[in-house]
Amino acid sequence: MSQVIESDVCIIGGGISAAMVAERLAERTEASITVVEAGGRTASLEERTATRARMLAYGENPYPNDHIPGQTGTGEMYQSMVLGGAAMHWGGAVPRYSPEDFRVRSLYGVGYDWPITFDDLEPYYQEAEERMGVAGEQGPPEYDPRSKPYPMPPLPLSWNLERMREWTDAAGIPFWTQPWARNTEPWQGRNVCRRCDTCAVCPTGAKYTPDFAFDRLLAAGRMRLHGRTLIRSLDLASGSDRVESATGFHQDAPDQPVEFRARTFVLAAGHSWSSHLLLLSANSRFPNGLANSTDNVGRYMTGHWFASGFIELPMRLYPGIFPNNSLLSHRFASPGPLDRYLRHDIRLWESTVGREARLAADDGRVLWGDEVMADWRARTRSTATARIRSYYDVIPTPESRLTLDSGMRNRHGDPMPRIDYVAGRATLDLEPHTHETLLGRFDELARAAGGRMMSTRASRLFEHPGGGCRMGDDPSTSVVDRWGRTHDHENLFVVGAPTIVSSGCANGTLTFCALSLMAAEEIAKG
Amino acid sequence: MAESRRTFLKQSAATVAVVSLPGCAPTAAERPDALVPATLRAVGEAVLPEELGADGRERSVAAFERWSEGLEPVAEMAHPYLVPETVFTGPDPRPGWAAQLSGLDIESGKRFGTSFAEVGVPERRRILEPHVRRAGPDFGRPENAAHIAVALAAHFFASPIATDLCYGRAIAKQQCRGLAGAGDEPAPLPGAAS
Repeated sequence: MSQVIESDVCIIGGGISAAMVAERLAERTEASITVVEAGGRTASLEERTATRARMLAYGENPYPNDHIPGQTGTGEMYQSMVLGGAAMHWGGAVPRYSPEDFRVRSLYGVGYDWPITFDDLEPYYQEAEERMGVAGEQGPPEYDPRSKPYPMPPLPLSWNLERMREWTDAAGIPFWTQPWARNTEPWQGRNVCRRCDTCAVCPTGAKYTPDFAFDRLLAAGRMRLHGRTLIRSLDLASGSDRVESATGFHQDAPDQPVEFRARTFVLAAGHSWSSHLLLLSANSRFPNGLANSTDNVGRYMTGHWFASGFIELPMRLYPGIFPNNSLLSHRFASPGPLDRYLRHDIRLWESTVGREARLAADDGRVLWGDEVMADWRARTRSTATARIRSYYDVIPTPESRLTLDSGMRNRHGDPMPRIDYVAGRATLDLEPHTHETLLGRFDELARAAGGRMMSTRASRLFEHPGGGCRMGDDPSTSVVDRWGRTHDHENLFVVGAPTIVSSGCANGTLTFCALSLMAAEEIAKG
Repeated sequence: MAESRRTFLKQSAATVAVVSLPGCAPTAAERPDALVPATLRAVGEAVLPEELGADGRERSVAAFERWSEGLEPVAEMAHPYLVPETVFTGPDPRPGWAAQLSGLDIESGKRFGTSFAEVGVPERRRILEPHVRRAGPDFGRPENAAHIAVALAAHFFASPIATDLCYGRAIAKQQCRGLAGAGDEPAPLPGAAS
């Protein structure tokens, strides 16, 4: 017999989008909230000093037990399945998308317009920044539009980045400080950044991770958490398209089903597992999966590609002062009229590449002790390295798809997700122009400093992935509406990364959070 | 001035010691794969900078020993970005390293008629050179080093102390320094040539 747990709102998934929804609903409604997370807990803040030390010393995972063996898919997806999700590991970069990202079809004749505009999302961007605690510098308003100041002053530019900004100013390209979900002032009981250089695991709590929000809600009695509980299906009420329950089991008792019943269900399981659960929940009424009457679930999986490189600069820098801060420009994300489509950001970091200690000289001679140090000093005395990278958007295509892989199953026999990312003809046709333009801009920047490109590379990794349940006004080409409500099931919402229409040319997490908060506003209406 | 510099090196070595966590494994001396201290220190004299001085080299070797004792073979590594598979560190390198130290002694005996620790630094480097040459030109992570000499040098040169000595500045990477002063040029190390 199943254990039955009832609440007003059942949120499936315990990552950053779930945290946003749970927090907003807890503050603005009286709804009872249940969060169901397949994974358990990983290192607490108190434990992160020790796990950080071992990461530095040995390269070990600073978040032990952050995944479930065998519960994994194929393709580019995160390994993490834990309370807090992939945003335990993240660096905290939180740029907004640009207004153009939402209107690329109208403005440039490529890709797809979103059903919402930047202005629709802007209040939720601000709210997400305030919930996380974002430290940022206002960039030029034409490239960095916002209605209110950042919640906190920006992270300071290091001496290195100050020198690099003098260089980029001379090049005529506006750069400003990357916004970060890291505190420069005490925020929600969390500490100020102490510049530890290991943002993947922040030992001070200055970096936002979703477990902080969940712990606050749990302490206030505003939500219930069912950890280590894997949901295997969403089930419809008899004779209705409403979702009645989510069924799964606790990992310690796989033979005892747990049934979650709720008025509203929120699928917040990230870009892989949200589509996966919908497909896994196929039934006689929806044989292709829930919310999939138009065969759009799992399609339009997207992300952005990048070009990157290393620049030799004729200046002395001191790598290690603050390697986890960077300069950002969205100048080319809002390019104005274009002959050929290309929108991209530019990021710049200090780097040690080509300037580390080494065992052998250029002529192959082995270096010993003082010779290693002398060689190292000679290569760092008057030159330095900067890392440069540009994200550019990949035009989504329906062939880029998540499916159930019957050849790969978890220990309970469920097929696991398989993502086959595909770049459409539009992206591939533009790729030579894209690379030529980006590498030309890199080279131009390098020469403005009297430097040179040391190396370049292009990546086809679909970074900051999303899609699979894209939003739209037309149910024939989308899975959810602008609020994240599935077209097929009035009480089932999908939030965050799966709902994006395109991934723009900026890190996606803040947009996923803003979309989740926008959905929460509709969910709150009951 | 020289005293201040020694103080810096001493404090910096203490910092490395904090980062290099001791594990719960038996001490080196109790284990069959123990790294023979005298031979390891002789390797240190060959591969670590002389400018550290004898005390500095000793602290660096001791820090390596503590690090080595805390090493867990086949440990789960930090997840690579967007790779849905668990990645592990390699098998235990210490038995191989211990055997290499023993081999250095044997080779030294055959070449020079005495132990590795008792021959001069030039002779030690002559023995070590083929091993170091095979590893180069980059150090890589110490736990992945194919030879104990490279592991020891890699451990030191990756440390915050080594970076500070290279630049002659108190950069103190990875040391949780606070935001104040981030915009300043790092202060020169006492007595350092920058």
